Amino acid sequence: MIEAINLRKEYDGIVAVDGISFHVEKGEIFALLGPNGAGKTTTIKAILGLINYEGEIKIDGKNAKDKEIKKFIGYLPERVAFYDNLTALQTLQFFAELKRIKNIDFMALLKEVGLENDAHRKVGGFSKGMLQRLGFAQCLLGEPKLLILDEPTSGLDAIGAYEIRRKIKELNEKGVTILLSSHILSEVQELSHRVAIMNKGKFIAIDSVENLSKRFEVQPKLRIELQHPSKEIMNLVKEIKAVKDVKMDGNILEILCQPTAKLAIINAIEEAGGKIVDFKTVEPTLEEIFIKVVKEDE
Amino acid sequence: MNEIFTIAKKEVMDNWRNKWIIAVSAIFAILTLVISYFGSMGGVGWKDLEVTIAGMITLVTLLIPIIGLMLGYASIVGEREKGSLELLLSYPVKREEVLVGKFFGLSAVMAFANFAGFGIAGVVIAMNVKGVEWSDYLIFILASILLGIVFIAIAMLMSCAFKKRSTAMGAAIFTWFLFEMIWNIIVAGILIAQYGMEKLADKNFVAPSWYYLASLINPVKAYSALVSLNVTPVSEFIGKIPSFVNTPFNLAILLAWMMGSMLLAYYLFKKKDL
Repeated sequence: MIEAINLRKEYDGIVAVDGISFHVEKGEIFALLGPNGAGKTTTIKAILGLINYEGEIKIDGKNAKDKEIKKFIGYLPERVAFYDNLTALQTLQFFAELKRIKNIDFMALLKEVGLENDAHRKVGGFSKGMLQRLGFAQCLLGEPKLLILDEPTSGLDAIGAYEIRRKIKELNEKGVTILLSSHILSEVQELSHRVAIMNKGKFIAIDSVENLSKRFEVQPKLRIELQHPSKEIMNLVKEIKAVKDVKMDGNILEILCQPTAKLAIINAIEEAGGKIVDFKTVEPTLEEIFIKVVKEDE
Repeated sequence: MNEIFTIAKKEVMDNWRNKWIIAVSAIFAILTLVISYFGSMGGVGWKDLEVTIAGMITLVTLLIPIIGLMLGYASIVGEREKGSLELLLSYPVKREEVLVGKFFGLSAVMAFANFAGFGIAGVVIAMNVKGVEWSDYLIFILASILLGIVFIAIAMLMSCAFKKRSTAMGAAIFTWFLFEMIWNIIVAGILIAQYGMEKLADKNFVAPSWYYLASLINPVKAYSALVSLNVTPVSEFIGKIPSFVNTPFNLAILLAWMMGSMLLAYYLFKKKDL
């Protein structure tokens, strides 16, 4: 769906994006991650033709600068801003007119984002969360094939964020390709098929969360709750070869190890007379992967 | 074209809702009526529309440019700073369409405010005086609209040239001072330096052609000259002016400012990263 070749952008001599190439498959949720100033927003702006850049970007095989291609793109910017004097309904009507879309049930769209009772209110009086909801509604105008979402749940309460995530999944199931940028790594982990980690204008890793955790050896953790924890148990577990690290936090034993070591750990605890109350495997989080990858790069 | 119309319509709607149009129309109507009734020529009482125009001209040359500048200075930079321009340009719309759409929309606001304000005042005056020369009044209104549109274009140029809304506003205010005061002072200064005060004070002194040319390049002066040449009681230049100072010349100056500003605005806007 998106193909970028040697994308490069400089701002006053400072390289924001340094010759990156990537592709986003049709029907994929692709996430851009990176510390502040890594080049995520610049990449998104280049795809949308909002900045001048070097290199080539194609969307659906056509030049991204082509005006007509934008009819099929929905964009939710990081900083959602509309026209203060227009109502929510007039705002959607204005953007629908720009896409030359007719026969839209605007009220249904507003209802979908929970703004049906605010349709005739001026946008200038909206809260950040309401603006974000309206922003999401506008990017759905015209049933886009590609959605570019920059911090889609920013400013939303827990229920609002959950609804947006549910909607993103629903749209993706219908075949919409989604390019996502978010600082909420749990959200990215939940939604995306692949992630691209950027740092200093370059991609330092692109893959699925699962593959990245393998590649960067970010291993699962065991969280074992013991009835009577002791140093003896801890030391015994530490002696197991496949165990890399053991921490004790109250009654909880947190063990970083290879997945094959589970049985040996349980046996060691029982041998030392420990009683297991609860046992959990905590999968590696994207946050751990992200921190490791960025630190290694720096 | 559809996109230009959509953006122009949004600008009108936006300015209608924020009461700009109503406020400006009211200012024009009240000032016209006040000048017509309390104007200096002939004491208190309703004056003919033509006499009113003569009284209005100075005020309009001060007021219309500032209204045009205020309408246009934030049109691009304001939206850019706020973030709405980024969203707008993510839609299937070209930068030139955004620029032209906004220009048309703001020009429509200016035209409506002029017609409504001066029109209402004209009707009130016509009800109180006889033999109203409507054609003169219409020329005055159209020329005033043109002046307003020229300053909208200049303001849009500022809006594309600067990164901050506050800087664009500062530039707009400077532009107003430039055309209202500084320009005239510089041109008059050169004239004085060339001929000396004594010669200028001579009743038979005729200013050289370059003076008229330099003065009339200023759009405010070109507007004054345009009205003076076409509205009977205001003909201040007649008898002294060089032959090239005619209606087409003044119109061309105003149109050149408008087109030049918009072209330069487009050039700068096209290069801008959001």
